[in-house]
Amino acid sequence: MVASHESTLANGLRVVIAPDRTTPVVAVNVWYQVGSRSEPPGRTGFAHLFEHMMFQGSEHVARNGHFQHIETVGGSANATTWFDRTSYYETVPSHHLDLALWLEADRMGWLLPAMNSEKLENQRQVVMNERRERYDNQPYGDWDERVQSLLFPASHPYHHTVIGSMEDIESATLEDVHDFFETHYRPGNAILTIAGDCEPEGALDRVRRYFGEIRAGPPSPPVPGEERIPLATGGTRRSDVQAAVPLPRVYLACRAPAFTTEAFYAGEAVSSCLGSGRSSRLYERLVRTGVAKSASCHHLPLTSGCAIMLAVATGLEDADAAELEEALAAEMEGVRDLGEEELHRAVVGAETRNLRALQRAQLRAEMLSSYAAHFGSTSRLNDDLRRLRRVTLDEARVWCEEYLHADNRVVVRYRPESGK
Amino acid sequence: MTGAGMDGGLRERVPSPGPIRPYHFPEVARIRLEGGLELRLVHTPSLPVATAMLVMRFGESALSPDEAGLAVLAADSLEGGTELRSAGELAHALDGIGASWGAATGWDSTTVAVSCLPDHLGEAMPLLAEMVRRPSFDEEEFARHRARQQAAASQRLMDPASMAVDRFAHTLYGRGGLYGRPLTGTPEAIGALTADAAARLVGRFYGPADAALVLVGDLERSEAVALAESAWGGWEREAVPVPDAAPPLRAGERSVHVVNRPGSVQSEIRVGHVGIRRAVEDYLPLIVFNLVLGGSFSSRLNLNLRERRGLTYGVRSSFAARRAAGPFSVSTAVETASTESAVVEIVREIEAMATDGPTTDEVDAATSYLAGVFPLRLQSAGQIASRVAGSFIHDLPEGYNRSYRDRVREVTREEAAQSARRHLHPDGLCTVVVGDAEAVGSQLEGLGMGEVAVHEAAGL
Repeated sequence: MVASHESTLANGLRVVIAPDRTTPVVAVNVWYQVGSRSEPPGRTGFAHLFEHMMFQGSEHVARNGHFQHIETVGGSANATTWFDRTSYYETVPSHHLDLALWLEADRMGWLLPAMNSEKLENQRQVVMNERRERYDNQPYGDWDERVQSLLFPASHPYHHTVIGSMEDIESATLEDVHDFFETHYRPGNAILTIAGDCEPEGALDRVRRYFGEIRAGPPSPPVPGEERIPLATGGTRRSDVQAAVPLPRVYLACRAPAFTTEAFYAGEAVSSCLGSGRSSRLYERLVRTGVAKSASCHHLPLTSGCAIMLAVATGLEDADAAELEEALAAEMEGVRDLGEEELHRAVVGAETRNLRALQRAQLRAEMLSSYAAHFGSTSRLNDDLRRLRRVTLDEARVWCEEYLHADNRVVVRYRPESGK
Repeated sequence: MTGAGMDGGLRERVPSPGPIRPYHFPEVARIRLEGGLELRLVHTPSLPVATAMLVMRFGESALSPDEAGLAVLAADSLEGGTELRSAGELAHALDGIGASWGAATGWDSTTVAVSCLPDHLGEAMPLLAEMVRRPSFDEEEFARHRARQQAAASQRLMDPASMAVDRFAHTLYGRGGLYGRPLTGTPEAIGALTADAAARLVGRFYGPADAALVLVGDLERSEAVALAESAWGGWEREAVPVPDAAPPLRAGERSVHVVNRPGSVQSEIRVGHVGIRRAVEDYLPLIVFNLVLGGSFSSRLNLNLRERRGLTYGVRSSFAARRAAGPFSVSTAVETASTESAVVEIVREIEAMATDGPTTDEVDAATSYLAGVFPLRLQSAGQIASRVAGSFIHDLPEGYNRSYRDRVREVTREEAAQSARRHLHPDGLCTVVVGDAEAVGSQLEGLGMGEVAVHEAAGL
């Protein structure tokens, strides 16, 4: 149970405060409701590039001052960009809460005076190197581009990846930085969460002090493109890749009910049954039998019209990629016969995983921001496990029948250049 | 701008810190169980999850090269079933109480751990003990784990970062030398490992004499001791003491090794030499200068290569602190065309640090960082357990963690500079580049980095 206080400043900034004085550490999370889905055509990867610019200083903070200030007091800081959001965070010894708030407020309110084309050029190079390091120079590095472009039509905001194309990263301009900031980086489009060692009233006073003067700005525009999408691909779409990879690997993805729907919980239960732990279906039937080296299932909590369920299996050496695909597909379709004990194990596992994650202030802050953003209230977080426990065997089975079949499937299959 | 009209002072001044809340590393009770196993017990009343971790001072470094990977494989195969239950039954029992569990093997240690709600420890602890004390090494399960480890080793041969790490270690320590091979073994070596050999290894090295049970959670002392005693009491097996680690090597001549990976869009770079033992006297001053050199975002290397020149997504330096001298390395990945400038800048920073050491401001910032960040990494039961286990592995004195922050704050500029002079050897730098040899090769000639050798195959 995470106790939290919620309020909204006059400029629209939503504030969540969740005190817990176990360790003298406090985490700040600023969650902007802007992600790769917000990018207009020709600007893929820009939300992430912009995230980098947020560390290049603001009117009262020197270039790289953000990291320097935080590291000097013994804190840690970073940010991540994803489909639906960009999340910035600091964890600091609790007596430095003011510093974290001051830094976040400065870039929320006073970023643009510090922007220039030299900084943009520098971070463009950094991000291009990030793309090379994490994707282009990696075995299987283009899997998500392939999955997303097959799973979603070009008009859908999840058609392109968060890292974006090299070409688009290259063509971003300083004017784009200004426009993006003015459009999305407004208090009303953000959630600020403070979790950990703080005193709630005092913390709220500080938030008012540092953020209160920031201008509200215009409301956010709708997500570009067409978010509504049928929860089926209408057939199996595939990409067969022969590449310099060491082992065969199969990605199997489908559209699934969005994070904000009731049906999402049945998907969580199914995902857990399939892929969580060494008693899960994929482990017992693919890994323990020697069909695969590893296998996992991921249920991505997305909100633009749908979520994604993704299963991945990597073959042992000399495995046949087609057989691996067949075996993985059989498990995805076969899970509709899941039983009471399996479902129970899945829920118990999810419960403990959740509690384990919530021990750390930063993860607590991130979860609270997420629930405030998507459900308008953090109370839903505490209600989550109850909802998961309530999923019946019938609901889980129906979920499988509706979404885990060949008419709602994308297959990306890698074969080693030398292998079968 | 948007802030017009507000009190200017608030924005212009960095806020002062509030009143500091003290942090104390939790008390660690040391209790000898019947049979000899040491219990290290930490009571954490406010944490919802408990962790039990058996840690043994035995790892891959105890094995000869022809057994490479066996310590890892044996520990991973513990989940393959016990004398009392099959792999599947074990998994169902532990997953059924929502536990997370597994083994991890390093050069110096093997840990087998389970984490669950404190209420379930009564079920989890006996299962943990059963895995360690009565593994069956079922042939089929063992063969499966071996195939997985072999496949993972093959994956390393195509992953540029792993290729660089493995070539670097091989170059520093030699084929048969300690740390000279991949931790998990090579595909060929793994293929020859047997279940019998794993059982013999466990019989020989797993035992209470050089092990500890770390237990962190919301448990009263009497309850915790009873739980530990019932699962581990009477574990008396005489384990063979792990052989002493080889004496530290000296850094050698400068040399460059290019591993050809045709078509690479980037070069994976490692620059360094043989570093330090964990037991080195000036460990804290060393951590301080390394933090300034390449141990944080605001380090000299990162600000230079990333933030000034845009050459990389990130660069870091590290000293692997093992029982014998582990590698010191600077690691990064850069666009192929920038390989030369990256190497030049890395060497420049190492040389500057070795010659002049860090500045007073840098040392102040680094010690403040290390003292401050300490509790950030001790928020969960698992983090606390790992810290306690680490102290056991390296035989750190009692109270080490409680006094850590005070001691790190006392490190002076002179100590850090002296440590840098002592432990950085710019004349003995080994450079490894994994990338497109045709595009990279000529860039590295004539840099004064030593002779350039090009290796065609990824295997060692």
